[in-house]
Amino acid sequence: MSARTHLGEAAVSLGLLAIGAFVLIDTGSIPAAQTYSGVGPRFFPYLVGVGLAVCGALLAWRALAGGWRAMPPDEGVHDRPDWRAFALVSAGVVVQMLAIGHAGFIIAGALLFVLVARGFGSRRLILDGVIGVVLVSVAYLVFTRLLALSLPAGWLSFL
Amino acid sequence: MDALHALLEGFGVALSLSNLMWGFVGVTLGTAVGVLPGVGPALSIALLLPATSKIDPTGALIMFAGIYYGAMFGGSTTSILLNTPGESATIITAMEGNLMAKAGRAGPALATSAIGSFVAGTLATIALTLVSPIVVDVALKFGPAEYFAVMVLAFTTVSAVLGASPLRGVAALFFGLYLGLMGIDTQTGQARFTFGIPELLDGVDVVVVAVGLFAVGETLYVATYLNRIADRMENFGGKVMMSAQDWARSWKPWLRGTALGFPFGTLPAGGAEIPTFLSYAIERKLTRHPEEFGKGAIEGVAGPEAANNASATGTLVPLLTLGLPTTATAAIILAAFQQYGLQPGPLLFETQPELVWGLIASMYVGNVILLILNLPLVGLWVKLLAIPRPLLYAGILIFATLGAYGLRNSWFDLLLLYVIGLAGFLMRRYDVPVAPVIVGMILGPLAESQFRRALAISQGDLSVFITQPIAAGILLVAALTVLVPPVWRRVAARRAARQR
Repeated sequence: MSARTHLGEAAVSLGLLAIGAFVLIDTGSIPAAQTYSGVGPRFFPYLVGVGLAVCGALLAWRALAGGWRAMPPDEGVHDRPDWRAFALVSAGVVVQMLAIGHAGFIIAGALLFVLVARGFGSRRLILDGVIGVVLVSVAYLVFTRLLALSLPAGWLSFL
Repeated sequence: MDALHALLEGFGVALSLSNLMWGFVGVTLGTAVGVLPGVGPALSIALLLPATSKIDPTGALIMFAGIYYGAMFGGSTTSILLNTPGESATIITAMEGNLMAKAGRAGPALATSAIGSFVAGTLATIALTLVSPIVVDVALKFGPAEYFAVMVLAFTTVSAVLGASPLRGVAALFFGLYLGLMGIDTQTGQARFTFGIPELLDGVDVVVVAVGLFAVGETLYVATYLNRIADRMENFGGKVMMSAQDWARSWKPWLRGTALGFPFGTLPAGGAEIPTFLSYAIERKLTRHPEEFGKGAIEGVAGPEAANNASATGTLVPLLTLGLPTTATAAIILAAFQQYGLQPGPLLFETQPELVWGLIASMYVGNVILLILNLPLVGLWVKLLAIPRPLLYAGILIFATLGAYGLRNSWFDLLLLYVIGLAGFLMRRYDVPVAPVIVGMILGPLAESQFRRALAISQGDLSVFITQPIAAGILLVAALTVLVPPVWRRVAARRAARQR
C-alpha cells in the first residue's frame, strides 16, 4: 500500500477522535438531572465519547504504524479516483436542496437526475432530462396521490 | 397447539385481499431491489417509511418483510449473471454461480438458487413459527437488566464478530450510538447534542441516516471509484431448468444450508455472511465432484443460497420476540414498528397477535409468490440489469431525496442527508462496516433506557448486572465474543510460527 492511503486512514481516525473529544466536551453542557437510578442524561454520552475517542486513537495509531489491519486489496480500484464525478453528484444533491423549496420536487428532482447522470458519464443531456422529468413526475404522483406523502409542487402547482 | 391455532388465525389476516396485495407488492419490490445493484432492502424499506406512516401497520409490515426476504431471492440473480454481487449475503453465490453462468449453465444456477431459496424460506418460516413462542416464554421473564444484556450482546456481535476488522466495526457502532443520542432525552427531557438547531430536537431520523449511508454514500463511491469498471453480463439463454442430476446434487445442500442459516440468523450473531461462507466450505468438503469447485459447482450455489434465505427469516425471531435487530434491515424494520407506536417483544404477541401471526403467515404465502416470480418470470428481472448505470444511480438519488424530504418537507434533512452521505462515502472507501451504525443508532436509545430502568430498580446499584444470573451470563458471552477472536488469532499465529 502507498503512503497516501495511510494518510487517508489517519485522517479518518483523527476525525473520529475529534468527534469523540467533542462529545466528551459537549456532554459537560447537558444539565445534570437528579434521577432515581443515579444515572442521568450524561452517563451514556460520556460512555459513547470515550468509545469514539479510544477507537479513533487506536485506528490512528494503526494507520501510522503500517496501515489499518485486514484492508481489502485496493490496487486498481482506488488509484484513479474520478473527483469530477464526485463533484457532479454532490452538486446534484446541493442544487436539489436549494431548489426544492421554491421550484418544487419535480423541477429540482429533474435537475438532480441530469447532474447525477452526467456525473456517471452520460452525454445525452436532453434524453436524460426527458427520462428524469418522466420518472420524477411518476414518483411524485405515486407518492403524493397513492401514499399520501406531502411533497412541494412549487412552480408547477398550477397543474 | 396454541401456536398452530394462532397461525391459522394469522392466515386469516394474511389472506385478506389488502394484505395479499401488500405482500405481493413487497416481494415484487424486494426482488427488484435485490436484482438492482446499488439498492438493497434496508434502503428500500427506509425510503418507504415516511410514505407508509398513515397506512395500516399490518399491511405495511407484511410489505417490509416481503422486501427483506424477496431481496434475498433477487440478489442471487444478479450475482449469477453479473460479476458484481447484488447483496453482500450473495458474495459466495457470485463466485460459484457466476462461474456456472460463464460455463453456459446459468439456467440451472438460477433454478437451484430460486428453488433452494423457496425451500429454505419455507422451512425457516416453519422454524420461526415453532421457535418464536418458546423464545417469547423465556423473554416474558426478562427484566430491564436482561434486556440491556441482550442488547449489549447484539452490539458486540454485529460490530466485532462480523466484518474484517473488529476495531472498525466497534468504531462504526459508537458512531451510530452517538447519532442515536442526538435529540431530547426521553427520561429527563434534556436536549443533547442539538447544537441549538430546532430541527435536531427530535433527533436524527433513521430514514436520513440509512438513506444517506446506503444511497448517497454508495452513489458517491461508485461514481468516484467504480464507474470506469464495466459490468459484464452473462447470457442465460432463457431456460431456467434443472436436470434430474442437478436436483440430486442440490437437495442435500439446500437442507444443510437451511440448517446452518436459520440458527445463525436467530442468534444475535446476525448477518448472512457467516452461514453462507460455512455452507460453501461444507459443500466443498462433502461434494463428490470436488474438481468442479472453482469452475462452477451447483452445490456451491445451492447451499449458500439456502443459507442466506434461512438466515434472513431467522433474524425475525429475535426481532419479533425480543425487539432485537441484528442486521441493518432488521433495524429499519424495528424503526417501522416504532413509527406505529409498536414495540416488538414478547408483549406484542399478546397485545397484537393478529399482526404478529399475520406477518408470519404472510411469509408462507410470500415464498410461494417469490418462487413464481423468480422461476418462470426471471427473464423480466434480468431486463432490469440492462438499465444504464447513469440512469440507475440518478434514479436512486431521486428516491433517496424523496424519502428524506418527505419526512417533514425540510431542506435541513437534505443537508443532513448529504453530510451523512459523505460519511458513508468515507466508510465505504476505508472499509468501515455500515450495519453497526444503523443498529447502534436504533438500539442505542433502547439500551440506554433499559440500563437506566435497571438501575432505577436497583437504586443505582451497578451490581444488578452481575448478580442476576441470566443478565450476567449474557454479558459474559458478549465479553467473550469480543475477547476470544483476537486471543485465538494470536495463539494460532504463535502455533504457526512454532511449526515453521
